[in-house]
Amino acid sequence: MGIAVLLKQVPDTTAKITVSGGRVDEAAVSKWSFSPYDEYALESALQIKEAGGGDLIAVTCGPARAAKMLTDAAAVGADALVHILVDDLGALDTTQVQAILAAAVKHIGADVVFCGKQAADTNAGSTGPGVAHLLDASCVTMVSEVAADGDSFTAIRASAGGNERVAVSSPCVFAFDKGTTELRRPNVRGIMMAKKKIIETMTPADLGVDTGSSSVSIDTHSPPPEKPPGQKFEGAESVATVVGKLRDEANVI
Amino acid sequence: MAYEALDFYDVDSLLTDEERMIRDAVRDWVDENVIPNIEKACRDEVFPDQWRVDLGEMGVLGAPLEGYGCPGLSYIAYGLICQELERGDSGVRSFASVQGSLAMYPIWDFGSEEQKNHYLPKMHAGEWVGCFGLTEPDYGSNPGDMITRAEDKGDHYLLNGAKMWITNGTIADLAIVWAKLDGVIRGFIVEKEDPGFTAPEMTGKHSLKASVTSELVFQDCRIPKDRILPGVEGLKGPFSCLNNARYGISWGAVGAAQSCFNSAREYALSRIQFDHPIASYQLVQNKLSWMLREITKGQLLAFHLGKKKDDGTWTPEQISLAKMNNVDMALEIARMARDIHGANGILDEYPIMRHMANLESVKTYEGTHDIHNLIIGRHITGIQAFTREP
Amino acid sequence: MDVTVIAEASGGGLHPVTAQLVGAASSIGGISTVLCAGGVGVTEAASIAGVTKVISVEGDCFGSFDGGAWAEALNSVARGDVIMAAATASGREIAATMAAMRGIPIVQDATALGIASGILVTRPIYSGKAIETSTVQWPCAITLRANAFDAAGGGGNADVSTVNQSADVAVAVKEAIAKASERLDVTEADIIISGGRGMGDPANFSHLYEVADMIGAAVGASRAAVDTWDEIPHSMQVGQTGKTVTPSLYIAVGISGAIQHLAGMRTSKYIVAINKDPDAPIFGVADYGIVATWEEALPALKDELGKL
Repeated sequence: MGIAVLLKQVPDTTAKITVSGGRVDEAAVSKWSFSPYDEYALESALQIKEAGGGDLIAVTCGPARAAKMLTDAAAVGADALVHILVDDLGALDTTQVQAILAAAVKHIGADVVFCGKQAADTNAGSTGPGVAHLLDASCVTMVSEVAADGDSFTAIRASAGGNERVAVSSPCVFAFDKGTTELRRPNVRGIMMAKKKIIETMTPADLGVDTGSSSVSIDTHSPPPEKPPGQKFEGAESVATVVGKLRDEANVI
Repeated sequence: MAYEALDFYDVDSLLTDEERMIRDAVRDWVDENVIPNIEKACRDEVFPDQWRVDLGEMGVLGAPLEGYGCPGLSYIAYGLICQELERGDSGVRSFASVQGSLAMYPIWDFGSEEQKNHYLPKMHAGEWVGCFGLTEPDYGSNPGDMITRAEDKGDHYLLNGAKMWITNGTIADLAIVWAKLDGVIRGFIVEKEDPGFTAPEMTGKHSLKASVTSELVFQDCRIPKDRILPGVEGLKGPFSCLNNARYGISWGAVGAAQSCFNSAREYALSRIQFDHPIASYQLVQNKLSWMLREITKGQLLAFHLGKKKDDGTWTPEQISLAKMNNVDMALEIARMARDIHGANGILDEYPIMRHMANLESVKTYEGTHDIHNLIIGRHITGIQAFTREP
Repeated sequence: MDVTVIAEASGGGLHPVTAQLVGAASSIGGISTVLCAGGVGVTEAASIAGVTKVISVEGDCFGSFDGGAWAEALNSVARGDVIMAAATASGREIAATMAAMRGIPIVQDATALGIASGILVTRPIYSGKAIETSTVQWPCAITLRANAFDAAGGGGNADVSTVNQSADVAVAVKEAIAKASERLDVTEADIIISGGRGMGDPANFSHLYEVADMIGAAVGASRAAVDTWDEIPHSMQVGQTGKTVTPSLYIAVGISGAIQHLAGMRTSKYIVAINKDPDAPIFGVADYGIVATWEEALPALKDELGKL
C-alpha cells in the first residue's frame, strides 16, 4: 500500500511574522517547521504503515528550503521523499496547487493520502477536499484518528455532537485536525539514516501542470491593525460595554 | 513558547543539518520532559528513571563512539547534546556525561572485544547504567596516590577501598573502577551484584539534587579475571575519559548560562519598577550585555574545540581552558541573573539558583577550576605548580 | 454577477451566517441563489433580502455529512459565477470540493470583500499575524468568516423550488462517540478564563466554567489558586511554573497579575481583567479592565454573552 503524506513547510507558529514592502518578510522568519496539523497526519500515517506495512512517501510543494522539512520527515520514518519545486506558492491559485499535488500522488501511485486539515500559513483547508476530487477519492476531514480495517479504513472525525466513527475505502484522503498522538521525536538513528535519503525533485512542468495564469493575485500583505491602548472601566455595569468591544473592536467573540 | 537560545555570532550557521536536527531533537525533549518536571525532581532529590529510558531511546548516550551500536556522531553533535541537556539541568547532563564519556568510553577504548560487545550496546540503549570510580574520600585533585587496590588472587581480583562523589553510583549496573594493581593504576569493571560491593547514596546535597551521587565501597570485593580493562595502565586511562567529559561540560556550561540569560532578559523586560521595566535601567543592561559577551565567547571556544576534537588536533590543555572558562562564566552569569531577578530569583519558579548551585559542583568536578588553571600555567611556563615536590 | 450561496444549517434551521453571506454577496453587486442542503432552512432563506431564488436540494445523501456527496449534489444545481459558503468546517469542505469540480479557484476565510478588476478579498493569514488582500477573477469560490459581514435584512420573498438530487455516499457513519467530558486544556483553547485567589473559594470556579461553556473557553488558574486549593489542579495553572498560553482572548478574574502569572499569558492577543482592586498590576497589561467584584461582574458577563 502506498501512503502519500502531503506536508507543507510554514513559519514556526511561535515565529514572529513581519511585513516589509507590502509582503510578509520570509527572510526574517527565524524558524520553519511542519505545519502543525500535518504533523498529526504524518504520525497517523506512520502508525498505519507500521501496523500494516506499505511505503510512506512524504510530498511537499514549495521552495528549496522545504527540502529540509522532507529530511525531518525521513528522520521519523518516511520511506521516500518527493519535492515539487515551486519558488512562490503565493503566485499559484488553488486549482494549480491541487493539480500539482494530485499529479504527484498519481506519479507515486499512492492509494491513500494523509494531510492536515488546513495549513498554518493560509489557514484555508482547500487542499484535502480538492485533491480528493482530482484523484476521484473519498475525503474525510476533521479527522483525529485513522485505523486500517482490512482493505478499508475507519476514522474518527468531529461531528456536531462530539465525534463519530466513519468507514471509508481507498482511494481516500484523510485531512487531520488535532490527532490523538503527537508526532514522534526523531532519534539519532533516524536522523543519521535520513541524511542518506534522496529527495526526488521535480517541477510542476514535469507533472504536466501549467503554473502561468493564476486567477488569484496577491495585492498586499499588511500587519494586523494596531490594538487601541488599554481601557479601564468602573463597575459591573461596564461589562456590557466590554463585551460589545470584544465583539466589535477586538473580534474575539 | 519554543526555546530560543542566545546565538549572537550565529554559531548555528556553522552546524551541519544533522547536527542541528540532533540538537533540536534533544532541545524538544528537554522542553517537554525536563523543564516541566525538574523543579519537583530537585525538591524530591530524585533522578527520574524515565529520563534514562528516553535518553537511551533517543540514541544520545555514548554519542561520539563508533561501532557496537553507537552512532559515531561528531564531537560538535556531542557538545550540542550536552548544551541542551544542561540547559535543562546539570544533573541530567551529568548522567549522560558519566554514561557516555566516563563509563562507555573506557570500555570502548581500553576494553577487550568481548567486553565491548557485552556492555556497549546495552549501555547505549540506556538499559545498563554505568559510573566512574576514580575519586576517593582523601584523593580528589591527586588521584595518582589513590589507595583503592586490587590484588590478583589467581582466579579472581580482590578489590578493597572506597570511591566517593560518584554520579550514577547507586543506580548503576556497572562501575569502571580505577585501582592499583601492584602499584599500577588499572581499570576494572565491577558489576552491581559482585560480592563485597555496595553503592550507598550520598544525601544532603545542596547541588545536583536531581542527580544520584554515591559512594562505592569495596570490602573484599571479588570480581572475575576478565573484568580488567586490558588496554591501558596508569593515570592515562582515567584522564582520557575525563578529557571527553570535560569537553562536553564546556558546551553544557554554555547551555546553563543561556538558560539563565533567557530568564534574566525576560524578567527584566517584564518587571516594572519606578514605572519602567528594569531592562530600561543602565546597570541592568550592563549585566545583560556582559552575559551576552561571555556566552558568545564561551560558545566560540567550545565550537572551535569541537572542531579540533573532530579532526584530532586537540590538546588536553585546550580542553582545560574551555572547561574552566565556560563553567566560570556560567556560574558568574547565574549569580548575576539571580541578582536581576531580585527576590524572585530565590524561588524555584525560576531556574536560576538551581543552575547556580549545580554549577558549584561543575566548577569542582572533572578537575577543579584551580587545577585546570595550573594545567594552563604549566603549559605556559613548563613548570608544574600542583605540588611542593618537583 | 450571480452568486450561489450554500446555506449553513444549525440545529435544524438556518445559521445566522447565511444572511451574512447574502449581505456580503449583495455588497459586491451579486444576485443570490441560496442552496439548502437536505432542505434545511428553506423558508428562512426565502425571507432574506437580496435572495432571488432558493433551491431546496433533497436526497438520501443528506442523512449524514459526506462532503464529497453533498458537494456533488449541490454542484449539479449550482449556476452562479461565484460560489459562497461560510468558513465553517463543512462550508470550507463543500466549497473546496465544488471548486475542484468546477475547476475554479477558492479563497477561504474572507473578512472583507470589494469589487475592482476582480473580487477583492481580505483575509487573515498566519493565524491572524498578518492580513492579505488579493484580487480574484471569477468564476471562483469564496468562504466567509462568520460575524465579519453585515447580515442582509428580512422581508425577502424568494422563489422556492425543490430538486431531488442525491449522490453516492463514500463516507459511512458507523457510530457516534460522545466527546469525553474532559474540559479543554488551557494550551488548546483560543479563549481562556482564569481565576485567582480573589475567587475566594474553589467552588466559585463553577461560575468560570459556566462562562467557559458559553464561549467554548478553557478554564485556567493562577499559582496562588492552585497552591491554596487542592481542588484546583496544577494542570490548570497558567504562569512561570505552569503553562504559557497565547489565546486570542484571556480573561483574568480575581487575579492580581504578579509577574510570574504575566509570564504565562502576557502575549495573549486580548486581555480582559476583572478585579476589585483598581491598582492590581493586571490592569497594566489588560486591553479591557473592569474594576468590579467577580460576584457582580460574572453574572453580568453571563447575561451579555447569552445575548450574543
